[in-house]
Amino acid sequence: MSQDLLWATLLWLPTRGETAKVTTGNPAINGPTPKSWLVEHNNWVFLLPTVLFFVWYQVYPIVRVVWISFTDYKYLTNDPANWVGFDNYVEALSDPLMWDSLGRAAYFTAMFLPGTIIIPLLLAVLIHGVQNQRLATVYRVILLIPAVIPSTLVFVLWKWMYNYQIGPINHFLVEVTGWFTYRNAPQWLGGTDLTLPSVAIMEVWWGLGYHSVFFLAGLAAIPKDLPEAARIDGAGEWQVFWHIILPRLQPIMLILVILRFGTSMGVIDEYLIFGGFNRESPTYTWTIFMYDQAFKTGLWRQGFAAAIGMVGSLAMMVFVTWLIYIFRSRD
Amino acid sequence: MKKEFPLTNIIRHTLIVFFMLTILLPLAWVLLLSIKSMPDSMRGSLWPRKFDFNHYTYVFEKIDTLPQNLFNSIYVTSATVLITSVCAVLAGYAIVHLKPKGSLFLVTVLVLSLYFPTRVVSIISVYEIQDYLSLINSTNGLILPYITLNLAVSVLIMRSIFQLVPGELIDSARMDGAGPWRTLWLIGIPLAKNGLVVIIIVNFVTAWGEYLLAATLTNDQEVRTMPVVLASAQGGMGQWAWPRIAAVYVIVVLPGIIAFAMAQKLFFKGLMDGALKT
Repeated sequence: MSQDLLWATLLWLPTRGETAKVTTGNPAINGPTPKSWLVEHNNWVFLLPTVLFFVWYQVYPIVRVVWISFTDYKYLTNDPANWVGFDNYVEALSDPLMWDSLGRAAYFTAMFLPGTIIIPLLLAVLIHGVQNQRLATVYRVILLIPAVIPSTLVFVLWKWMYNYQIGPINHFLVEVTGWFTYRNAPQWLGGTDLTLPSVAIMEVWWGLGYHSVFFLAGLAAIPKDLPEAARIDGAGEWQVFWHIILPRLQPIMLILVILRFGTSMGVIDEYLIFGGFNRESPTYTWTIFMYDQAFKTGLWRQGFAAAIGMVGSLAMMVFVTWLIYIFRSRD
Repeated sequence: MKKEFPLTNIIRHTLIVFFMLTILLPLAWVLLLSIKSMPDSMRGSLWPRKFDFNHYTYVFEKIDTLPQNLFNSIYVTSATVLITSVCAVLAGYAIVHLKPKGSLFLVTVLVLSLYFPTRVVSIISVYEIQDYLSLINSTNGLILPYITLNLAVSVLIMRSIFQLVPGELIDSARMDGAGPWRTLWLIGIPLAKNGLVVIIIVNFVTAWGEYLLAATLTNDQEVRTMPVVLASAQGGMGQWAWPRIAAVYVIVVLPGIIAFAMAQKLFFKGLMDGALKT
């Protein structure tokens, strides 16, 4: 989930932009008059660097991976790749590991997604009620600190936090509270049943502050007299929250859910750092399965790896479409 | 707003402080670990009995590759931030104010790429591209794929920022005879400053912490960047004793937090103003 900060901006700036567009009207000067060939091409120069890099490292690789997934391409051999049709897909779909690894990613998402939406929502509601402006600013700055810690550094930090020897979590459980001894202290990241929940907690921690800022911005956009009027009509705080506040935060929740669904299904860095390539480990998800096949097994079966990647991506896209559908229909 | 009971207020602040501590404690822990004396680092207690500030000088003097790794990170990150920002400013400006043919199509493709797990799936082919260009195991080679990591998002942010710049301003500059480049430089960029701060921070955070590509495309310790070094370091004895790794960690994580603290006002302006005003 390395795209943290930017999404906050992405959410807010367009809304602001649209209002600005309405107020200025902006009749482009060269709208009605046809542009000369020279002007048109001069303008394209501005887009050139973006298009160049984007095609080079995003569009082409994806197209290429789609093509590879239909061939028996192996990176290490000199033989030309042969077209094998859907063979790789058939092999992937009939491999129980494909389904297990997709299931693990889904299990992680099911734990992570509610936590990363509900807890920040509560925190935002709490902070929104703070009347001391200076305190509110301090809170807001603290909230954004984890969002400026680069992804890998968050994972490394938590790898140490969960460390069973020097990690403060086990120190607390063993020496401060005495609930465990070092012999039976939990192995958080050791590929046990606790591993995926531990990773989920880490991810919730990472998004906690920044998602709260998200919700705070949404709360600030709700006109103050709306909850006031409801209270005068005798609505309790809970009803105000449920019927007035929550529906207005729904667009933000939609974006967060879709966004975080994508990041949590596609987690790879964390699992590479914590888990390694043990096929039994709960961190062996479809992304690791793909990476393992493409770079680690010694066979470098990239055609098969590409098919695994495509199956995982398509499963995600189908689910995202469904998510958008259920959220839309409620409006 | 209704006047609150003191009790509600106490509960509210207790809960908030609890969450704030949850955010800050892990960071405080690693900071303290980096200044603990060796024996204290083996004990788990948060507050050390004896401080030792020498770990910071030690890591630079005794870990051969560390200065090189740090330099690699700084170099790759600066190049990425610079190039991506230039691309994003040019493209954002052109999409909103010059509207060349095909810009709508470009925006659509950029948005679509955000919904697809591009970063994960494309790695197979990116490896091939880098190999073809002989850029495997090269620090320079990392810059190219890094640029595209956040390119789509940066362009979309700059597009939204330039939508805030009134078209009349741009048009009047053009009536006065300024070309599109001069207009961008004199009118566009000064007005898009806040957005620029945001995309610089965003790209800095991504490039500074990137792991997947760096770990896949490089093999030798000297060409690697700090995140890969830190992630592969096994804490234990000697060079990589815990307080020493923690010192390395603090060295790597601090620039981002300091940069954010300095740009914080500008950043919140870019981030929050829009939401609060609409």
